[in-house]
Amino acid sequence: MPPMTYDAIVVGSGISGGWAAKELTEKGLRTIVLEAGRPIDPAVDYVEHVPPSEKRYRGMGNRKQVERYQPIQRHTGACDEWSSKFFVNDLDNPYSFPEDKPFYWIRGRQVGGRSIMWGRCVYRWSDLDFTANAREGYGVDWPLRYNDLAPWWSYVEKFVGIQGRRENLPQVPDGEFQTPWPLNAAEQKSRDILLTKFGGERVITNARLAVLTEDHGGRQKCHLCGHCARGCITFSYFSSINSTLPAARKTGRLTLRPFSVVHSVIYDPAKRRATGVRVIDANTKQMFDVNAKVIFLNASAMESTRILLNSATKEFPNGLGSSSGELGHNLMDHIMDGGATGTLPFATDRREIGNRPDAIYVPRFRNVKTKHPDFLRGYGFEGRAYRPGWDRGSEMPGFGASFKKSLIGDLGPWVMDFGGFGEMLPRHENYVALDPHLVDAWGIPALRVNCTYSENEKKMQEDMVVSATEMLEALGATNIRPYKEDNPPGLVIHETGTARMGRDPKTSVLNAHNQVWDAPNVFVTDGACMPSTANQNPSITYMALTARAVDYAHQLLNRREL
Amino acid sequence: MRRREVVQFLGAALALPFIPRGAEAAMKLGAELHLRLDDVPFSTLNRDQQALVTSIAEMIIPETDTPGATSVKVPEFIDLILTERATDDERTVFLAGLRDIDVRASALGSNRFVDLSTAKKVELMTTLDGARGDTAGAGLAFARLKALTVYGYFTSQRVEQEILKMQMFFNGYQGNVPFTPAV
Repeated sequence: MPPMTYDAIVVGSGISGGWAAKELTEKGLRTIVLEAGRPIDPAVDYVEHVPPSEKRYRGMGNRKQVERYQPIQRHTGACDEWSSKFFVNDLDNPYSFPEDKPFYWIRGRQVGGRSIMWGRCVYRWSDLDFTANAREGYGVDWPLRYNDLAPWWSYVEKFVGIQGRRENLPQVPDGEFQTPWPLNAAEQKSRDILLTKFGGERVITNARLAVLTEDHGGRQKCHLCGHCARGCITFSYFSSINSTLPAARKTGRLTLRPFSVVHSVIYDPAKRRATGVRVIDANTKQMFDVNAKVIFLNASAMESTRILLNSATKEFPNGLGSSSGELGHNLMDHIMDGGATGTLPFATDRREIGNRPDAIYVPRFRNVKTKHPDFLRGYGFEGRAYRPGWDRGSEMPGFGASFKKSLIGDLGPWVMDFGGFGEMLPRHENYVALDPHLVDAWGIPALRVNCTYSENEKKMQEDMVVSATEMLEALGATNIRPYKEDNPPGLVIHETGTARMGRDPKTSVLNAHNQVWDAPNVFVTDGACMPSTANQNPSITYMALTARAVDYAHQLLNRREL
Repeated sequence: MRRREVVQFLGAALALPFIPRGAEAAMKLGAELHLRLDDVPFSTLNRDQQALVTSIAEMIIPETDTPGATSVKVPEFIDLILTERATDDERTVFLAGLRDIDVRASALGSNRFVDLSTAKKVELMTTLDGARGDTAGAGLAFARLKALTVYGYFTSQRVEQEILKMQMFFNGYQGNVPFTPAV
């Protein structure tokens, strides 16, 4: 097959790949998006309105099938009877880890990637986050600060459509918001109590979500069915399929090629530039090349790095971009599974109507104004107050007509849940490398992941339990159930790092504009690029970095510097 | 699934080129799947076990002015889960627990739970309801039976439609709506 030639190549069609495609095509570049997985037809694949009664196991899941084919993916809640099809087959997509260092790598290989089933929470960072590495001596300093990225956050937020409440909190700056859904009666009361009892330090605010409360850009406002991870036929939440890929297609300059597994980047040592990528057709297994002036790697943090590791040359025997010795290193996730639930004593005469997919957020309050003695950085809480309805039946004492009547006619008291999401420090010893003994279904060397949480994260998780319990006690909750689970990293599905940005080519893989130092026409703008991971959900930052990097690449192309 | 509501909602959106095909196709598929579900026979529970499971499920959620567990085929659902979803160990433990329920019944004057008087059945179920934390035997089997009965009942198509009146489309979120329990 003769090589195909485009102005730009984007590898991956997930949340950052969709943005790269949109921005490149809108700037006039003929762009091919190479997606390893299958195409998605929303009319067929989106199943958010299929009720449990229409599923064979009523939503309990096809356990034997996922245990056989998705032994890793099954650990995430969204890999359920509706949405397991959006997660990879682990047998075709293997990776390895040392027996004592499990890592759950949760992946989606299809057009849209994980933007179909992502959590949709979007929070800006502050300079508290951008300066943390330099202040504390971990990893390398970010090569940019809040003001460098703020206009790009604004740019992407306006397109994405984000609901949020302006709080003027310096640690999570406000953005471009649509009017949020209101807090429910129990959450509002809880907010008021905590503001008083914690002196404004712990704030229950509305979750900032990439879910529309107003019609926006040809997409309809959310109809509150509550099952975003199964798709959305009204395109009310942001995903590549719902938003960026249609925008790119509108330009007439997009070629989207599914079933295209990128093997490696092709590097020309004479020009000191990449000339294209080597691709394997997922169905025919035929190999072919695609050439372009500029390449954006957006295959997801570890996949983009895997491509670079598989792109070794004589000059870069450990992979393209490896000259600093940091390619593959400094892998991070967040840490979760620390928190508490409790039964609230108020608002029993109030209920909610509509199923919000996400509800509240408590922004970071540790190490903001005062230093915590046990750990660096911080965490926020996601959560909600809800009335369990019939779902409480299996735990509720009783049976018979009155039991049934209670399950149908009452909702149970409000339950509040606070679940922490904390920052993981960048550490060189957390890394991915090629496994010399393992290939995927297309014969491409697979990754071996070495990653563990440090004592800092574990101490932070312990504090999540303490502070969640404190808040519930302050609310007068009963039946308080603290929880802490010792899950391996990866499961938060916020894996970042392995090709970090930096100021110095000796210590980083990418420069301040996401260019690979060793191959300046290759940009990496997914989670791989992050020198640290803050505690906020990362996707909106990938989007902003991508838009910024495309703008820079376009300037370089116009100046013929690529 | 309230087809009319879905289609009505989509009517307003038909101007958008990406939407219209979804609901029709999804609902057709759903209806076909549901027909298949209705045909599921018992595969794990023998006749005595079916009678026991049916008796207890119906006592947990009885027929009143609304359907009971039996009429929405909760026992068939439990059998399906035991057959296709439970591990061998889980199935064995559950079936042993059912046998244990009959053993407990013998202390109340009958060799089988189903042959007890209603009052004796209530007495034994009250005891078992208090033993749901047990890790084996009748208490564990009752706990699983109760959980599956509640789940199977409220996820049946009839209960979704007639009792829960499950809704997929809301015109905005309301979080502070007056509520009085109907109990």
